[in-house]
Amino acid sequence: MPLAPDHLSTTLAALSDPTRRAILARLATGQATVTEIAAPFAMSMPAVSRHLKVLEHAGLITRGREAQWRPCRITAEPLKDVADWVAHYRRFWTESFDRLDDYLQDVQKKGKKHGHGKHHGE
Amino acid sequence: MATGSIMASEERELVLTRVFDAPRDLVFKAWTDPNCVAMWWGPHRFTNPVCELDLRPGGAILIHMRGPDGTVYPMTGVFQEVVEPERIVFTSAALDDKGTPMFEVLTTVTFTEQNGKTKQTMRARVIKMTPQAAPYVAGMEQGWTQSLERLTAYVATHAKELR
Repeated sequence: MPLAPDHLSTTLAALSDPTRRAILARLATGQATVTEIAAPFAMSMPAVSRHLKVLEHAGLITRGREAQWRPCRITAEPLKDVADWVAHYRRFWTESFDRLDDYLQDVQKKGKKHGHGKHHGE
Repeated sequence: MATGSIMASEERELVLTRVFDAPRDLVFKAWTDPNCVAMWWGPHRFTNPVCELDLRPGGAILIHMRGPDGTVYPMTGVFQEVVEPERIVFTSAALDDKGTPMFEVLTTVTFTEQNGKTKQTMRARVIKMTPQAAPYVAGMEQGWTQSLERLTAYVATHAKELR
């Protein structure tokens, strides 16, 4: 299912908090209950719940419907959207700089042919 | 031959470095002369039928990139700083695959001389989101790049369940 750009923004915003990233890292190892998630953090349960709500809103986690347990699971789809954007961004600049490199070599070769080559005495 | 790397420095920046076997003046010109920029800007097999650079603080950047299939991707930006031959700073819109602006990126490119070669350092930072993302801007203050790097690694290792 394709995600609209504002979903990407929501995902990025949800990921901007170190506690939420730590929660996701925990869930990447398997599902967990709110109590289990809260254990390593020095914060109140309501605070943890608030973070979970942000993650859930961003579609980064889903929560079970069982009233007692409500285990949290990580969902990878929005992360793929983010990863796609980073890959896209990297490729744009990496390829541009490859071309810039070629261009600079060409220009210098031409400069030498025309007697302007004063750089690097190869 | 160029050597390069990409890494996340501070949390919210993406940094790319390259060393070009060319003098600094030439590299600076390649970034600031529209005719030169049109020769290399964009991915492989892209051309730039429109490339206009108003090289001064506040000056506009307009580049139309044309992909191999003929699709044109307009890109706009504004120069913030131009310090010949060592630095240029500009803002530009980051587009998604469909050409929709997602957020604004501040890019700083610095050029330093290194034994007759030129070391280019590019730092990119997200500074503004699209209007529909405005409520989240405050939350974007830090952490996005590192998140992206880590999550990219995560996604790579969980590629199977994503399909």
